[in-house]
Amino acid sequence: MSFVSYQYLLFLGIVFLLYWCLPFKGRIILLIAGSYLFYGSWDARFVALLLTSTTVDYFCGLAIAQERKNLRKVFFTACLPAAWLIGYTAIIQDGSAVAAWVIGASCLFPFLFGLLYHSLWRLHEVRQRRAFLVLSILTNLGVLAFFKYFKFFADNLVALFSLFGVNPGWTLPHIILPIAISFYTFQSICYSVDIYRNKVDPMKEFLPFAAYLSFFPQLVSGPIERPNHLLPQFQKAASWDVRNLHSGIALILIGLFKKVFVADNCALLANYAFALDTKLNAYWAILGVMAFAFQVYGDFSGYTDIARGSARLLGIQLSANFRFPYFASNPSDFWKRWHITLSTWFRDYVYIPLGGNHGTSLLTLRNLYITMLLAGLWHGASWTFVLWGAYHGTLLVLFHIMPSWQRVADTNNKHVWQQVPSIVFMWILTLIGWSFFRSNNLGQLWNWFAALGNWNASSSIYWVGPSLWWLLHVVPLLLFQLAQWKQSDESSVKEFHWIFRGLMYAVLFIMVTTSMVTDQEFIYFQF
Amino acid sequence: MKHWLKPSFLLAIALLCTAELIMHIFFQEDFSGRFEYGYNPTSGFDEGSDGIVHLVPAGGRHFLRQSFTKTHSPATFRIMVIGDSVTRGPSLKNAYPWLIGEQLRENGIQAECFNLGVPGYGAHRKFIVLQKALDYMPDLIILQVNDSNEHDDDREFKRSQDFKSWNPKNWMMKSLLLRRIYEAETEHLFWKWLPTIIRDQKSVNDADAKVAASLSPEKRIEWSERVRKYTMQSIALSLSKNVPILLIVQAEYQKGNPKLDDHNLEDLIGHTKRKGVYLLSMKRLFEPLAFDKLFSSGHHLYPAGHKIIADAVVKMLRRDCLAKLKTTTH
Repeated sequence: MSFVSYQYLLFLGIVFLLYWCLPFKGRIILLIAGSYLFYGSWDARFVALLLTSTTVDYFCGLAIAQERKNLRKVFFTACLPAAWLIGYTAIIQDGSAVAAWVIGASCLFPFLFGLLYHSLWRLHEVRQRRAFLVLSILTNLGVLAFFKYFKFFADNLVALFSLFGVNPGWTLPHIILPIAISFYTFQSICYSVDIYRNKVDPMKEFLPFAAYLSFFPQLVSGPIERPNHLLPQFQKAASWDVRNLHSGIALILIGLFKKVFVADNCALLANYAFALDTKLNAYWAILGVMAFAFQVYGDFSGYTDIARGSARLLGIQLSANFRFPYFASNPSDFWKRWHITLSTWFRDYVYIPLGGNHGTSLLTLRNLYITMLLAGLWHGASWTFVLWGAYHGTLLVLFHIMPSWQRVADTNNKHVWQQVPSIVFMWILTLIGWSFFRSNNLGQLWNWFAALGNWNASSSIYWVGPSLWWLLHVVPLLLFQLAQWKQSDESSVKEFHWIFRGLMYAVLFIMVTTSMVTDQEFIYFQF
Repeated sequence: MKHWLKPSFLLAIALLCTAELIMHIFFQEDFSGRFEYGYNPTSGFDEGSDGIVHLVPAGGRHFLRQSFTKTHSPATFRIMVIGDSVTRGPSLKNAYPWLIGEQLRENGIQAECFNLGVPGYGAHRKFIVLQKALDYMPDLIILQVNDSNEHDDDREFKRSQDFKSWNPKNWMMKSLLLRRIYEAETEHLFWKWLPTIIRDQKSVNDADAKVAASLSPEKRIEWSERVRKYTMQSIALSLSKNVPILLIVQAEYQKGNPKLDDHNLEDLIGHTKRKGVYLLSMKRLFEPLAFDKLFSSGHHLYPAGHKIIADAVVKMLRRDCLAKLKTTTH
């Protein structure tokens, strides 16, 4: 069930109406049911995985805070994934829908988890807290590693063996990447770590915690919420405020505009430029990557706006994820504006544990670089993503060791026009990064760079009409953003005069409803 | 209640409603049948109050823009050519309908020939166009016969039915305002600014489905039968209005194949030959020639191919002497 579908609008409308009619407990149950239905609409089998993460993190969270639960309760809760899979298989009456070993593993899980849970309580308190933290992190990273990275590492191992003339003869299993896995595992990890760091108290009740972890607006592609921001909102009933309704609808409309009007129309150009059989010249290499820049931004920030708008209709505030990223003046500034909840997650849970900037300059740079490398790998199991991370790591390192760049890019006390050269320079650097990100493989990436040397216009299809197409779909977004230049939230319109807002809503509505060029899926769903 | 209705939302709704109202009052007729995917009998034929009919790309019919009078003098020999993208040709002046008219006029015949080819049209939709074309007093109908668009006809017919259904995905497009802007975006920006290869991404699933269907022998039989049925109906309708009809049976070129393939359509409709029905086989016309130079793709022709068809049609008209043609000479 995509955000850009009538099914979702209908689903959201029903949830909205029921939500405000129900008492607090009923709302939590409604959110869980709605979220699992939403998630299951992609592939119902993977609901079991979400249940596994929820179970492990709930009991580990409590254990880290030294709250022990009855082993019987642990066991029965851990039976939920198996019950789901067996029930699912029985309902659809297809024994092959779930592999036998998966059902077997899910049946073993309550015993294994119960045993581990029971055993770890025997450790000394300090070791015990750490052990439960490690169990939570390993479970989440294990799930992520298996589903997302197993094939990548296995393929590379096979390639490495073949370099030495060895054929291991492995038959690798076909593993489907469950949607949203990168997002909810990260949210689970920060929950456990924050409890360990005594930054947040664990959820005492299972249902609100399940609602927190599966909350449908942000489940699939974030924002990756911190427990201290989102958990309290699931612990007390939100009160009705009509302003949330207004701003929620406005956010959804703006999000749809970014996705349907900007991203999907830019995607037509980007998909052509980065198709494997396209003959590129410099014009198309540049146009293609510029189109992708707005595709990926419109797509992801559009998703975030729809997620925030949907949550706001239910009285829940989600974090902003973007703040005019293409107006960044340097690499450090870019990461304060792009996918903010992910970059701050990596800062708090990778960069700082690695030592952050509390060491020598060399160590700080190393930590920065490793963090960006991992952030690249998080986006996908491919060398192009690793290179993208490495590229941004290099930019950050260079920015930190070049005081002259820092001086030029410093925007403090500068008029907006004085900032333009830095912004343009950073925009070009960002575009180069997107070529890594969008290329399907290293060969294509090389071709993209090689095409930059070919200015023969006749060596590819004509580019003037497509450039106008790009401008037509990007300029409205840029104008909208320039009008909000000074705002902290790029999708907030409350400071506009109501007449301008009314005009804008009407225009956005027309743009959205008439621009359904393609049924493009959201890019970040794959991560 | 006061708090529920924000002035900005009210203004937006008022603006949209006003614009919709204006569209209903002033422009409703301009784009009737837009979502009938060519199954609306009148769309694309824009009849002015001055008696001039304009062929316009509208209502799922991408007609080339042409104009003609609703009626014409008996001295003028009017030909209407109905077909698909092959008939439509690379451009108006390089397609055989235009060349036929030009050659007839060069021979001193007061003739006019109009190109009513619409890309992707199969037998059913061509029959619907024919029904309307017969209102404009043609002296001859030329019908391009082929079975390469039957899948498209089928698909678009289902879409036209779907659009009439209750499905909410169609609700927005029932607004004339949104429909008009969508149409303008699609036809004036999408089709004109983007190269074919990029536009094709949008219909990639349609293209895949068409290829899959064309590989099914049952489908091919079904399509042939449909072409036969509608061709018979077209002949009957045309003759019932005393308008002779010339069938041009299309042929397909496959690279490396020394022969052209007309999918046995000539055999299928050949027996219909009778008074007022004429047949021209592209297969027999092109095979003696270096036909690989004439096709730009499987079905589509370069201007040279169109010229050959036009020559053959003109020759046929002069030889078979359609009575009217003789009388209008001088």
